[in-house]
Amino acid sequence: MERAQKKIKPGTIVLFAATILLAFLFIYPVLFALMSAFKSNGDILKSPISFPRSLYVQNFKDLFEQSDFLTAILHSIFLTVVSEVLIVFIVPMAAYGIERRQSRTTALIYTYFLAGMMIPFHLYMFPLFKEMRMLHLFGNMAGPIVSYIAGSIAFGALLYCSFLKGVPLEIEEAAMIDGCTPFQTFWKVTFPLLGPCTGSMVILNGLGIWNDYLMPYLVLPSGKAKTITVEIAGFVGQYTARWDIVFAGTVISIVPALIIFCMFQKYFVKGITAGAAKG
Amino acid sequence: MNTSAKKKRKFDTTAFAFIAPAFLFFTLFIIVPTISSVYYSFTSWDGISPTVKFIGLANYKEIFTSARFGNALKNTVILTVFISIFENSIALGLALIVDNVRWGKNFFRSAFYIPVLISGIVSGFIWKIMYNYNFGTFNAVLGNLGLDGLKQDWLGNSALTLLMIGVVLIWKGAGYYMIIYLASLQSVSPELIEAAQIDGASPWQRFKSITVPLISGAFTINFTLSLINGLKVFDQINVMTDGGPGFTSETLVYLLYKVGFNEGRQGFGTAVGIMLLFIIIVLNTIQQKFLRSREVQM
Repeated sequence: MERAQKKIKPGTIVLFAATILLAFLFIYPVLFALMSAFKSNGDILKSPISFPRSLYVQNFKDLFEQSDFLTAILHSIFLTVVSEVLIVFIVPMAAYGIERRQSRTTALIYTYFLAGMMIPFHLYMFPLFKEMRMLHLFGNMAGPIVSYIAGSIAFGALLYCSFLKGVPLEIEEAAMIDGCTPFQTFWKVTFPLLGPCTGSMVILNGLGIWNDYLMPYLVLPSGKAKTITVEIAGFVGQYTARWDIVFAGTVISIVPALIIFCMFQKYFVKGITAGAAKG
Repeated sequence: MNTSAKKKRKFDTTAFAFIAPAFLFFTLFIIVPTISSVYYSFTSWDGISPTVKFIGLANYKEIFTSARFGNALKNTVILTVFISIFENSIALGLALIVDNVRWGKNFFRSAFYIPVLISGIVSGFIWKIMYNYNFGTFNAVLGNLGLDGLKQDWLGNSALTLLMIGVVLIWKGAGYYMIIYLASLQSVSPELIEAAQIDGASPWQRFKSITVPLISGAFTINFTLSLINGLKVFDQINVMTDGGPGFTSETLVYLLYKVGFNEGRQGFGTAVGIMLLFIIIVLNTIQQKFLRSREVQM
């Protein structure tokens, strides 16, 4: 690398150094949380910017002993996974119906879905909870799940519709001639071709559900652990003197998201840019 | 727009079967509650009791006369404008850096994106601790630099609170908008830049006259997105200040939440929500106008 053919200008080095510094500043708060999770409370208070002295895991033990954090983790996983499975079943089909069967009605439905992007959750949450109570969806996992599905449709339809435009019709026509029903054609022929799009939607959406706070906080039954995010928010008020425990919780919230990001980076980028290009 | 098979059809059973589940969820859990919130905004509903009393325009009258709403609106505007301006300038700066840095483009792109992955609650908590007067990072660093005079109660100082919350949101959001700017920058053809270079255009001239016009689409989208996201901020305020000190960090969304759940006035809260939707629709309309006028130019 040092003997690259182009001469390295001083500007290149300065920019590189400045970028490293900037990247450090951006990652620092995350490092701070990761480091603090492995420090005793005394160390966090005494020297907030130092490294942990050893691999100290007492915070995690305390976290699981003093709260029902395991339940919270399971709830977070359950909500994310079940919602995403249902979303992947419902959203691509709707986009397919809109994009492949273009008519005035489907165009209208598409606009109707996109209008949903403008409506803030906070506006309709009070009547939504009332409706959930009527339908017995309040106070259990079904409430957040149906709401996450509804909330995923606008962005999902946009993503899939723009992606479907690039999928050739010929393969589908061949499948239809071979006697597949539209339903079979979609799931067996078209859906597998939409992999990258599905990846982007599941990842961006899943992250939103994993990190969501207000919905599980308000809808899940009180008196029991709810989700990771809700537990952490609760700790902040409750354990004002035990930051070590809260930091251990934040690490459990951050690390899965980091792992998924490292594994599926390109889907994040694709999803964001595709969403913006049409949004 | 798309000239493909736009046929007039009769009722299309297949299409309807494909769309029906999504349509049902969307209508039942977004549109129905949204429409009923218009109704509740004219009532004094407390959120619990089965009886809902119609009170006409009283909630809206209160909105336009109460100092608390005016304060929340002011805070929302300050926070949203602050976030949008800095989020966009920083995101564009980061995109330019990642686009031009010689080594480690992917690594740096990921580094700047990482804060986006963190939940609002967790990011709020981390920064709340970093801002802490006695044990926080900011004051520790200032102390180490010998700048004890600059030490602050960052969140407790009501002149700073909103901006300090804004800093957290900018940190958390910039990476997202950076991705959009970066995609837009990378679609600018290198030949165009080279041609300008040969013609003797300085880097600044090239940036101003070629890059900026070509990324203006990304700018419009990012600015609108960051404004709308700024209006909806909730988690960080909840965990960092709970709207305080006093009412200094109470935004519209936070006001809506507090009157709805702590004060049992969901009718009034919903009316605040309607105002929020109104603002978002106005912003969206302006964006659409911008986009259209740009399309005409190109």
